[in-house]
Amino acid sequence: MNSTTLNDYQLIIIADDRQVVLERILQVTRYRGFLINGINAQVNTGNKVATITLLVSSSRPITLLIDQINKLIDIKGVTVDNSATQQCSA
Amino acid sequence: MTESKPLTGGGLLFEVLQQHGVEHVFGYPGGAIMPIYDALYDSDVQHFLCRHEQGAAFSAVGYARAAGKVGVCLATSGPGATNLITGLADALADSIPVVAITGQVPTSAMGSDAFQEIDIFGLSLACTKHSFQVTDINDLEKVLHQAFEIALEGRQGPVLVDIPKDVQLAEVTERLDKLSHLENKVHLPLADISNALDLLTHAQQPILYVGGGVGMANAVEETRQFAKETGMPSVSTLKGLGAMNPEDENYLGMLGMHGTKAANNAVQQCDLLVVVGARFDDRVTGKLNEFAPNAKVIHFDIDTAEINKRRAANVAILGDLKANLPLLSVPLSIAPWQEKLQEMKADCAWRYDHPGENIFAPAVLKAVSDLMPKNTCVTTDVGQHQMWAAQHMDFNDPCNFLTSGGMGTMGFGLPAAIGAQISRPHDTVIAVSGDGSIMMNVQELATIKRYQIPVKIVLIDNAKLGMVRQWQDLFFDGRLSETDLSDNPDFVMLSTAFDIKSKQITKKSEVNAAVEEMLDHDGPYLLQVKIDAAENVWPLVPPNTANHKMMESV
Repeated sequence: MNSTTLNDYQLIIIADDRQVVLERILQVTRYRGFLINGINAQVNTGNKVATITLLVSSSRPITLLIDQINKLIDIKGVTVDNSATQQCSA
Repeated sequence: MTESKPLTGGGLLFEVLQQHGVEHVFGYPGGAIMPIYDALYDSDVQHFLCRHEQGAAFSAVGYARAAGKVGVCLATSGPGATNLITGLADALADSIPVVAITGQVPTSAMGSDAFQEIDIFGLSLACTKHSFQVTDINDLEKVLHQAFEIALEGRQGPVLVDIPKDVQLAEVTERLDKLSHLENKVHLPLADISNALDLLTHAQQPILYVGGGVGMANAVEETRQFAKETGMPSVSTLKGLGAMNPEDENYLGMLGMHGTKAANNAVQQCDLLVVVGARFDDRVTGKLNEFAPNAKVIHFDIDTAEINKRRAANVAILGDLKANLPLLSVPLSIAPWQEKLQEMKADCAWRYDHPGENIFAPAVLKAVSDLMPKNTCVTTDVGQHQMWAAQHMDFNDPCNFLTSGGMGTMGFGLPAAIGAQISRPHDTVIAVSGDGSIMMNVQELATIKRYQIPVKIVLIDNAKLGMVRQWQDLFFDGRLSETDLSDNPDFVMLSTAFDIKSKQITKKSEVNAAVEEMLDHDGPYLLQVKIDAAENVWPLVPPNTANHKMMESV
């Protein structure tokens, strides 16, 4: 049986709190070949900035997803929380 | 004395369009966009009524690509909006700046499954660069300006603005004092010119791999100058055709699945690929891990996400190609490599001495290319005729060859030619189509008739879905499944029904005179060229095969 090595990543995404920004991030994540394992989103209503923590896994390099999310108009920045990155087999 | 009407959302739309230099829009009215069409009645913006919203979207794409402007299309809610989607997806795949305006049901009815309601805002996420839904009239002006800025900024692309009917009708009471620009732009790293120069000066067999990004960056002159100063042999993608001077002795033509033998072999043998505005598309690379196996890569692009996406770059140079490419212009000592490739190019030159009386499609397209006026804009549909046009016609600028590259959308050619002709009324525009493709948006012949748009249509007719038939013959044991179109309509009669002059030719002896007659005709013209249904496009790199293992015949 083929075994695909999946890596787990935790992304911290800072975004303007605009229409459908969360849908955009989830759509890009799925389309670019990353499974979504968990999500947490909070909005600072003062500055209208959202902080989204996304747990994803994929056999693809995480830089591919970071570059695609960074292209979204409402995104201020994306970082990987390396302490949460793991490797597993599926 | 009559009182001036208050400015509504619909009126504001046309004010903003005019501020962005928009003179022409393509669209189709309907219930939820009626206030915008009412405002159009008082506007100086010229509207072209297409006969299907997909036609409007492709005309906007053709307009944008031919003239280097933003194309604008309008559609109503529901089916009008969904009919735009293929055109928007096409624009996204080929990075074309388009602004699509859709009407939406009133905000009070949104989310109630109202008549002609669809969540086009949600549907747009995967087929636009960005999209907006305006639910407050006070946001409309800012959003419309942002739509144009986003469409043109960085890697260009389509933007959709969905405007509910009540917002279109609402009175505008606040105007922007000043425009606010995008805040979240991707910051590009400084170019590593030193490492790139090191790779360049040590290369013995470099190749310049030119993509559609060259035209988009308005860097044709810089790219040709770079090729001239370095002496580097070059190849082009489908969308990059026109960027290189076709008469340059070091230019080897298109690479990839239907590329020239010289171009593909040169890339396979090179030790350095200088990639400008290209993205290692699967139709270019063939089997990816055998593509240019000995080459190091210098990758120029405006889009960070293209770097290392399909092929790792040894050096990435992000940003404005026009500014960055000249930084690497150094003369190279590669005479043996140049001579070898020039010899290979001569050995693989196209031949047009096809036996028999039947018309050989490549020879027709070569004749059209030779006879058409300078700066003619050619559009194509998708299939065999598209590849023959790419192989056998010469273009002196990327804006003179408009083809659906990334999405490969049949039905693109005719409406794109309409848009191109409207944006460049003084240039000849030729749509090269196939008998399968033209039927996909054949209703746009009515648009040609209505506005007497002098588009010339070269219809390569083999009464087949030719490219699919070719693959069925080659890779599916000749099991010809649903590719016969022998019951096509009489295309000459069809053209006549739309008041479009037309002619059918069936013999090679008729070709030159017929092409000249078409080009000399003042108005629209359809030339139906009957060809042998068994003709294939060669060379062909079979699927999942390295590019040097191309087939050249059955």
